[in-house]
Amino acid sequence: MSTNLPYLHLVHRIAHEGNIMLETIPATQLAARIRSGTKVYGEGDAEIRALDGISADFRRGEFTAIMGPSGSGKSTLLHTLAGLDELTDGSVYIGETELGTLKDKDLTILRREQVGFIFQAFNLIPTLNAEENILLPLSIAGDKPDREWYERVVEAVGLSDRLDHRPSELSGGQQQRVAAARALVSKPEIVFADEPSGNLDSVASGELLDFMRTAVREFDQTIVMVTHDPIAASYANRIVFLADGDVVAEMVDPTPESILDEMKHMGS
Amino acid sequence: MLRAAIKGVFANKVRLTLTALAIVIGVAFVAASFVFTDSISARFDALLETTATGVDAYVRPAPFDTGNSNDPFQSTEYGSIPEDTLTVVAAAPGVRLAEGGVVGFAQLVDKGGKAIGGQGPPTLGYSWSTEPSLSPVTIKDGNGRGPEVAGEVVIDANSARMNDLRVGDTITVLTIGAPEQFTIVGIASFGDSDSLAGATLAMFELGEAQRLFDLEGRYSAISVAAESGITPEELAANITSTIDGDIEVVTAEQSNAEQTEAISEGLGFLNIALLAFAAVAVFVGAFIISNTFRIIVAQRTRELALLRAIGATGKQVTWMVIVEALIIGLVASAVGIGVGVLLALGLAAAMNAFGFNMPDGPLTVLPRTVIVGMAVGLIVTIVSALLPARKAARVPPIAAMNEEAARPKRRSLHTRAIAGSITLGAGVAALFLGLFASIGGGLWFVGIGALVFFVGVSIIAPLAADPIAAVLGWPLPRMFGVAGQLAQDNTRRKPRRTASTASALMIGVALVVFVAVFGASIKTSISESVTDTFPGDFSAQSTNFAVGVSPTFADEVRALPEIGDVSTVKIGTAAVEGEGTSVVAVDPETIDTVTNFDVSPDAYERLAETDGVLVAESLMQDNGWSVGDSVAIVFPQDSGGEFEIAGTIASANFGNYVITDTAYAVGFSDPTDGWVFANRADGVALADARAAIDGVAADYPNVKVQNKSEIIADAESQIDQMLVLFTGLLFLAIIIAVLGITNTLALSIIERTREIGLLRAVGMVRSQVRRMIRWEAVVIALFGAVMGVGVGLFLGWAVVRALADEGLGSFSIPAGQVSVLVLLAAFAGLIAAIYPSWKASRLNVLEAIAYE
Repeated sequence: MSTNLPYLHLVHRIAHEGNIMLETIPATQLAARIRSGTKVYGEGDAEIRALDGISADFRRGEFTAIMGPSGSGKSTLLHTLAGLDELTDGSVYIGETELGTLKDKDLTILRREQVGFIFQAFNLIPTLNAEENILLPLSIAGDKPDREWYERVVEAVGLSDRLDHRPSELSGGQQQRVAAARALVSKPEIVFADEPSGNLDSVASGELLDFMRTAVREFDQTIVMVTHDPIAASYANRIVFLADGDVVAEMVDPTPESILDEMKHMGS
Repeated sequence: MLRAAIKGVFANKVRLTLTALAIVIGVAFVAASFVFTDSISARFDALLETTATGVDAYVRPAPFDTGNSNDPFQSTEYGSIPEDTLTVVAAAPGVRLAEGGVVGFAQLVDKGGKAIGGQGPPTLGYSWSTEPSLSPVTIKDGNGRGPEVAGEVVIDANSARMNDLRVGDTITVLTIGAPEQFTIVGIASFGDSDSLAGATLAMFELGEAQRLFDLEGRYSAISVAAESGITPEELAANITSTIDGDIEVVTAEQSNAEQTEAISEGLGFLNIALLAFAAVAVFVGAFIISNTFRIIVAQRTRELALLRAIGATGKQVTWMVIVEALIIGLVASAVGIGVGVLLALGLAAAMNAFGFNMPDGPLTVLPRTVIVGMAVGLIVTIVSALLPARKAARVPPIAAMNEEAARPKRRSLHTRAIAGSITLGAGVAALFLGLFASIGGGLWFVGIGALVFFVGVSIIAPLAADPIAAVLGWPLPRMFGVAGQLAQDNTRRKPRRTASTASALMIGVALVVFVAVFGASIKTSISESVTDTFPGDFSAQSTNFAVGVSPTFADEVRALPEIGDVSTVKIGTAAVEGEGTSVVAVDPETIDTVTNFDVSPDAYERLAETDGVLVAESLMQDNGWSVGDSVAIVFPQDSGGEFEIAGTIASANFGNYVITDTAYAVGFSDPTDGWVFANRADGVALADARAAIDGVAADYPNVKVQNKSEIIADAESQIDQMLVLFTGLLFLAIIIAVLGITNTLALSIIERTREIGLLRAVGMVRSQVRRMIRWEAVVIALFGAVMGVGVGLFLGWAVVRALADEGLGSFSIPAGQVSVLVLLAAFAGLIAAIYPSWKASRLNVLEAIAYE
């Protein structure tokens, strides 16, 4: 696949639709950014460039979806942004903090305080009930929850009557909403979601994504979500398309149809 | 399938190594026990061969016969034969040379005035042989000569070297008479060896030796050499036909074999102790192995289901797990035997350090040792893996595809409660049968009962795991927040795993608690009985295990103006109604002035009148005897006769049968006193009386004089020494159990990889992860300790109650020791968690949360 052509297409489209170029956004408005990020796995013949000099910005209060074919580096991008994995080269910032300089302990504390996570599965600790799972990052930090905020989140996520249930007593959709509530409860700088609706049916998936969109609109939360589902991606404000470890296209206010179009275009 | 099994072993090598360690330790003890005793026997055989003399046969007094052929019973008394037997023996056909000699008690005193030895190997005195070809002992080159006149002594080279004694030195020697001084004229060895198993030897000229051992006109034995062409057997037969009386003739070969056997028997307690600890180690190991296999099978559910799905039968899956166990058992047992050989070496070194000089020589590893060691290791491993292996066969093929189906169905708690209760009941029944019913093989009942009891507790334990862990872990969330809470939750989520891990620790803790309770109860009982029965000021006892206090000591004390009443107690072994038992002898006129034994009214008066016997109340009841009846007593030196029961004595601590000094003097040759009791004279200050009696004791280095509190303290410190030894070895069982905790946690962490990854992702720092694992381990350890304390107290109580008749009157709980033990268990939990918690904290977060 040629990377030149889609990139020209992107520039063309950004210019055409009158959007601001990424680079011109002041850093203070960014929840996270990556600069010339390269991630190499393995050595010699087995070397894989999961990220290849990628740069991308994620504005506060924006719901960004990252799309791309398998092996395009979208999960690696998410993991390096979230401080779960280290870049081989380049830099990642959460807010004003550069992650590359942090030791494990500081990085862990940064994740606890400034990053929220929603994984595809195994989001919850089986021995803790829903409420304890939601409050987990705060309990780990030994912090008292902001009760008012906690209740707003729980209400928004529609779990008020399920708080004393263990994960095994919740449906898959409910479990993912508990995970979403947990991601929000510490008011993080940014929430990363990795195929959060990947294991859900369409109804449960819709409920979860609705909640995530609400969190961005009403609570001014920043969310970055990796997905390969065009319908899930259509809940985002913006889509970043990856291929071969770099950004190849971007789309604002997507619809499932426009996403499918773009994907077809990329595939060609 | 065999290949799958081998691969399975290698895939799990770390956890299986930990598991195998339990087997290694158990088998090592079994092997060490065999190797040690076999080597000792072989070395003594070799030593006796190198010291072989021209002696072909020995003529000696016939062993003391209790009158009951089923109860051959060895007297500790030295018998003797008349001197004129020598003339008869020398004249027997085929006799080339015959020499009479005597043996008796003689203890050397070092230059500092301290008695040498006496707490272990024997302290012996011999007459010096003037026929070098008949003696195993020879003067070392350049170290003097044999004793020729009274006042001369030859000592063994080891004692000389250890105490810097040389030819020409003057030395005090303690015998059954008053201590005397001798001049060392020679230093002797046995062939190449300086010492025979650490025994100290003093050798005198024959007449001198006969005087010292109170054997004037008698011999302990006659050594005989045959003319050429006469075999030892022929010689023995010839002599036997020419002599009469209570005399027997044995060949030198028989005599050597007896000596080797006696030495082996003397070390038999070590053998039993080693095998007992091996049993404990193997039993604890069985829990750990079973637990490990159960967890591994659970973790490999999908893999096993896949095997089923592609056509393996349930039986094949079972066999695969059993073959894995077999491989581990094989390797661990082989390593265990190797470690056992090293352990035997260490034991021999330790024995030497304690003064039991073992002859040098190679270690003897008999095929029997290897076979038994391998069998023990293999059987325990395979039996422990049986249940998990059968469980593996029940994994349905669908489990390969479906998470839900992979979850094992829980068996009902009812079944467990019932099975546990039955096992527990059977254990208690066997235990009580062994302890309280007078049936044969009581000790076996107790041992097996305890074993079954442990198993019963471990079956019930999972039912208790959740509530007990809830209580024990209660402070954790309060102290350590969410890490503490997760630690507590984790101990409760798999009660069966928690319980069986804790059960392994329970066994070790229970045994240590049992030993502590037993020891504390003995101490309390001794303290009470000394307080009750000994109202006097002073007591004197010998520090030598084998012999009492020379009667001259009591005579000297009696003569002191500062001392008033003095009375003694002698101890001997006799046959009462055909059964060997210890009897004590007192002077009925004076014993009541210094002791306070609970005897029936006028018992001492009647004893003096009838010259009869006082019998312990419990024996009166058991045998249906009443005062006025007669019992038959046979003594080592006299055929004895019927003794009238003159009264009863309540306290069994003192002795079951009490006779008079007069009867004792006829029946026994050993004149020494077991105890000398003394009161100060009226109006004399305690300190003055003590100074006076201590002055006498200064001449008797093997006598210790004590007041009431010193007796108690002394007895307690002796018991403490035993306790330390037992507890130390039992701690091995606790160490094995700690390995079990490490193993279980390491396996649990593998299961919880995702969970820990998630915790790390949402912000748990490494120290919190470590804390979580650490406190989980502590709760498991405490659970085991709590069960162990409960079981140990129960066992201790049962045994102490059962021994109430034997003078163990008080049940006492050493609360301090038990508390320390529980704290130690908690600490052991911390240690057990070091590796798993480190491992957990180092988990790669990304890999942990990655999808399959």
